Amino acid sequence: MSTATGYNFAYLDEQSKRMIRRAILKGVAIPGYQVPFGGREMPLPHGWGTGGMQVTASVIGEADKLKVIDQGADDTTNAVSIRRFFAHTAGVETTEQTAEATLIQTRHRIPERPLQADQILIYQVPIPEPLRFIEPRESETRKMHALSEYGAMQVKLYEDVARFGHIATSYDYPVMVNNRYMMDPSPIPKFDNPKMSMMPALQLFGAGFEKRIYAVPPFTQVESLDFDDHPFEVQSWDEACAICGSDHSFLDEVITDDNGSKMFVCSDTDYCRERVDQGFVGTAADLSTSEQETEQ
Amino acid sequence: MAVSSHELIAGFADPVQASQQVFRAALKVMSEPGTLVEIDYAETAPKGLDLSTWQLALSLLDPNTRVWLSPTLAANDAVISNLRFHCQCPLVDNPFDADFVIAWHSELPLLAELNWGTAEYPDRSTTLIVQVPALSDEPDWTLSGPGIEHTRSLYVAGLSEPFRSDLTRSRQRFPLGIDTFWCCDNRMAALPRTTQIEPFKKAEEAC
Repeated sequence: MSTATGYNFAYLDEQSKRMIRRAILKGVAIPGYQVPFGGREMPLPHGWGTGGMQVTASVIGEADKLKVIDQGADDTTNAVSIRRFFAHTAGVETTEQTAEATLIQTRHRIPERPLQADQILIYQVPIPEPLRFIEPRESETRKMHALSEYGAMQVKLYEDVARFGHIATSYDYPVMVNNRYMMDPSPIPKFDNPKMSMMPALQLFGAGFEKRIYAVPPFTQVESLDFDDHPFEVQSWDEACAICGSDHSFLDEVITDDNGSKMFVCSDTDYCRERVDQGFVGTAADLSTSEQETEQ
Repeated sequence: MAVSSHELIAGFADPVQASQQVFRAALKVMSEPGTLVEIDYAETAPKGLDLSTWQLALSLLDPNTRVWLSPTLAANDAVISNLRFHCQCPLVDNPFDADFVIAWHSELPLLAELNWGTAEYPDRSTTLIVQVPALSDEPDWTLSGPGIEHTRSLYVAGLSEPFRSDLTRSRQRFPLGIDTFWCCDNRMAALPRTTQIEPFKKAEEAC
């Protein structure tokens, strides 16, 4: 694959990469703690994954195989453009298969297929501070982290229980990492939270706008906050995936016409494809594949 | 002290790729504490530096990182000249001011003399790079914590007893702490501040 001329390998200059690499190492050493770094301008707007891209650019090497997903899908705009960006600037191989990838940059999902040792999962993070909507001042949230003063978050979850009878937070669900730091898992559905704990792969988080990097090393305990009488629960569906029939993956609801018809399909397109290849079928097996495209 | 040009050696043949590979090795050992790796992207190191130390320096150090060298290294013209020339890192006189400390195992400063970071910014702490005479997975320390599924064993030779116990006890001050790289020839391991260290216990007597 040809690489772009006039740019350094993987776009970022070496000095910036070194700075980001040092931040990543500190992040790994202090799991869940947000390390400030000198975020660089990337050739796409903030909010499009510039934090994740800077982490990927600093980690990626010629031998890597990159997969990029956006809400679980390999074929959405954000995923396609970031994958092409690194194919172009680093000349690396790309893949859509979770099992084959050495690096997976993700927006808002963790693949359904369990990740393995030596894979690295890189999250794009919009707002890295879990306490930000409770306490807008950075000086204060820093103190709260320093003192492990996390009661306010329990109160927020309790307000859910008081109002709705259950914890209504369904994504961006706060976790405690290694029993010390409260961490924002990025806006993944809480369905994915349990996958973060004791994962054999390394998890890195990059927030470009807020200029923070944090990490969860392999085999690290990640616990979702809850109460004794309202334990943490993940979403479940009465439906199964219309394409592959999976009843255990995260499903997207897709509106199929103007009359309110809808179907549920796996949000993880590679997982769905893998199951179809294995011969699993759903109720809509005869539908054209163009309807696989998920919304959002 | 000026750079002595006759002491200079070549850096990485391919600085971009080699820096990335060495960083990935550093990332692996730091995220999987006690894991040993060998790095071979440079053929020679300045006299006085282990190959792995030299490659770490080329990969991670630059004008933004203050470095403290232990006395023998600080008096070594080859080491200083090459660090100045290749990394352009400022050398400081006090280990507390350093982002990276590079030290011989026999010349280690007290852990208390290093910068442990602050409660609000625990990342602003010294990273310690120690050159040791031997490094292996023989059972000496039993390690546990993030990055380790059950336990892992590591043997770092040449550390004084007080330093070993200081390091073990430093875990109580988490999130403050010192992250360490251990270097021996082309081998490297790391212990971040999260790793709990226990002396290896021989198999319990039958009970």
